[in-house]
Amino acid sequence: MSLLFVLPASALASSFGILAEPGPFSLAEKLLLVALILTCAYLFWRRFGLVVAKIRASRRDPDFHLFPLGPRIRDFVWEVLCQSKVIRERPLPGLAHAFVFWSFLAFALVTLNHIAVGLGFGFLSPSGLFGRFYFTFAALFAVTCAVSITALFVRRFLIQPVWLSRAGHKLSWESGLIAGLIFALMATYLATYAVANGSPSAHVLWWLHTLSLLVFLPLVPHTKHLHLILSPLTVFLSRGTFAHIPPLVGDEDFGLVAGKDLTQLVTLQAYSCVECGRCTEHCPAAATGKALNPKEIVLGIRSYLNDFGPASEEPLLGKYNSQQAVFQCTTCGACEYQCPVGIEHLPILIGLRRGATNTGAWEDDYGSKLFNAMERNSNALGLSSAERDKFIQKQSLPIFDGSQEYCLWLGCMGGYDPKGREIITSFVDVMNYLGASYGVLRKEKCTGDPARRLGNDLVFQMLAEANLETLKQNKVKKIISICPHCVRTIQEDWKEFGTPPEIEHHSEFLARHQARLPKSPTPETIVFHDPCYLGRYRGVYDEPRQVAALGGTLLEAEQSRERSFCCGAGGGLAFLGEEQGERISHVRAQQLVATGATTIGAACPFCNSMVRDALADSGPNPPQLLDIAQIAARNLPPKPAPTQP
Amino acid sequence: MKIIVAIKQVPERDARIRIDAAGTGIDLQDVEFALNESDAYALEEALQLKEANGGEVVVISAGPERVGQTIREALAKGADRGIHIESDDLASYDPLGIASLLAAAIRDEQADLILTGLQSDDLGFGQTGVILAELLAIPHATLILKTEVTPSGIKVLRELEDGWFQHVEMATPALLTIQSGSNKLRYATLMGIKRAKLKEVRIVSAADLAAADPALKPGQPALTLLRLNLPHKQRSTQILAGTPDQAAAALVEKLQFEARVL
Repeated sequence: MSLLFVLPASALASSFGILAEPGPFSLAEKLLLVALILTCAYLFWRRFGLVVAKIRASRRDPDFHLFPLGPRIRDFVWEVLCQSKVIRERPLPGLAHAFVFWSFLAFALVTLNHIAVGLGFGFLSPSGLFGRFYFTFAALFAVTCAVSITALFVRRFLIQPVWLSRAGHKLSWESGLIAGLIFALMATYLATYAVANGSPSAHVLWWLHTLSLLVFLPLVPHTKHLHLILSPLTVFLSRGTFAHIPPLVGDEDFGLVAGKDLTQLVTLQAYSCVECGRCTEHCPAAATGKALNPKEIVLGIRSYLNDFGPASEEPLLGKYNSQQAVFQCTTCGACEYQCPVGIEHLPILIGLRRGATNTGAWEDDYGSKLFNAMERNSNALGLSSAERDKFIQKQSLPIFDGSQEYCLWLGCMGGYDPKGREIITSFVDVMNYLGASYGVLRKEKCTGDPARRLGNDLVFQMLAEANLETLKQNKVKKIISICPHCVRTIQEDWKEFGTPPEIEHHSEFLARHQARLPKSPTPETIVFHDPCYLGRYRGVYDEPRQVAALGGTLLEAEQSRERSFCCGAGGGLAFLGEEQGERISHVRAQQLVATGATTIGAACPFCNSMVRDALADSGPNPPQLLDIAQIAARNLPPKPAPTQP
Repeated sequence: MKIIVAIKQVPERDARIRIDAAGTGIDLQDVEFALNESDAYALEEALQLKEANGGEVVVISAGPERVGQTIREALAKGADRGIHIESDDLASYDPLGIASLLAAAIRDEQADLILTGLQSDDLGFGQTGVILAELLAIPHATLILKTEVTPSGIKVLRELEDGWFQHVEMATPALLTIQSGSNKLRYATLMGIKRAKLKEVRIVSAADLAAADPALKPGQPALTLLRLNLPHKQRSTQILAGTPDQAAAALVEKLQFEARVL
């Protein structure tokens, strides 16, 4: 019978560079193939359908908007297709991963054709012009993929970085199996180049390739390889704002209390986690021996969903996640910044805190004291507002009356803390030197930042609303602040209750006017410590460095800019009790001291306070610690003596 | 165990105090109000007793409409219901008058325990609780730091002067005036505030109470406030001239005869 496929290029089948075809398939083989495909698809869906159902059954995200699509497409192309985050933060393993991913994409057409050939509908001829090109193109990727997956296997199972193992758990054996399957896929594909067209070997290789593929399919939804399917969606659907805190809706929404509060995005993200541990690697709490491990928080939500589902009344803080761990987060955002699959840790961590604080379940002496102080005294330090009045009087700070350009926001640290006041005094000197017009508010309440991050929406709302009203009454158009926490809270968090005026951090103002500011006559070496709320939260890295450089030569700490290590104060933790494990501020101070710089430049009164305390403990002759405003003010000409009128 | 907590709304601690035109009260314009501090501790004590022994916590306060806000805050912290004696001229009542109003409003409640703050942060008479106990004919104890429910009543710790304490056992029903700092205050929560909206606040007017109770004669108060003065805060600096010996001698003289501290 001449039912054999006699393809035009069959004469060249053994010639180098052309993929061998497996030859014809019997009806039994075809039926077997169809049965295998259906079985694996069923096994895949049996698990994957469950995940989809849990995502769909979760609460809708209250403030989710699909549009505008532009930024979503940009993130998708940049983070998913280009693998930018995967590569940037861990270059070698990142590249290896990227090659595996790109190979998958390159293989889409090959795989489709592969299965089609088995069913007798092959549409890509290996010897045709396009076929020759495309199969060779895929083969190049197959080589890089095989090398990459081998390297990743070696890294995971032989080198074993600590981030990859879950606390108390062994490395997942499925990862090894999947690496093996991917290697088998590439090997069987490449081997097909070495066998004769239509030969039994080609036939066997075809089946081996197919079986590797089909075994892979049902494994995906059972393992972290679910990220193959979910993470592109997670990245595309992310909230879009870094560390976004969603609004509470209705009278029964207190944050993440139980499964019923989990939103579709949270559930999607929990199932997308690839367990790479980058979040934990960069977490200052995890690095200093605390109970918090951001990866475990996300996986804890996943385990919760597996056990109880998204409609449950079972508390989220209990079996899988602990209240202790959740309240150790400094909200520095390193985890969320690092996550390559689009998980937003901050909405989850702060959501869990809201659930605990808004219902009164969080009982902490320091926390209660802080909230009561913020409620009674309207500042986080619990001091009388008369203290702020005295400072304003003593420094003769002009009162904002609507005629000035800037409203200088003192904040709790600037208004009440002795060291914070020094920063204000220096900054005011610079503003005066530059001839900037500014005034301070007669009454100012805390922005509510510590309450917001510790999950106390009642106190936060009271303060935000009162402040918004004051600013409106005073017709404030532009605010300037020395505190990145104030800047962030006013600009982003207050939006829930009104329209805050424009606000900028003093580093941005100073950088804009740096040309007019004198440089230090005795240059020093300066290491700048990036505040989390200025860097990761606001994307301001260069401006404070430009200002710090007025004092001399800049050095960089081991972790800086996007990877900066927190001082330990954020998330309201500056007001809570002693830390578990090592103090975060001490670790950071050591990193800064290790640069050998003579001056540490800070741009946040909280960082300033934490690093100052840590330096007192860091051995003899610690470097001096200055805010960038103080660095700028030091070089100003002496103030002229007040002239008699 | 049914506990009634009598609370008072007072000007916020940071409020800018100005004497009003009549000179007998403070100008309430621009003044924000808060719960009297020792009353907050009384409420906390009541909530803890309820958590340990079960029962109900009822808060009561007298004053104009704005007092409703403070009652809601107490409900948000965990009190079960509130009673608001509405009166726009509370300043015309002396402690006996206020205590009479409170007594009339709660007599039928048959509470096991009545708690008040030690004294108010504004007028500071420290009398209302004690008089209330007398009017209700129940025993009272003041300056309480600790309470412990016993089979026969309650055991309390009183703070005396000079670091001395007194343990008192008393039968219930009783009235206690609670000292500030006796406990750690809990914080108000969003859930508490939302739940508080659903709790009952009974509003009774002072006039109705007076009409129903012939013993309550709103006539001449027994105590009249004549005049309020702001404290004079003065700080003066003197430089003592001369040689160190002369300056030291002058300083000793001033400390002895002007400051009278030596």
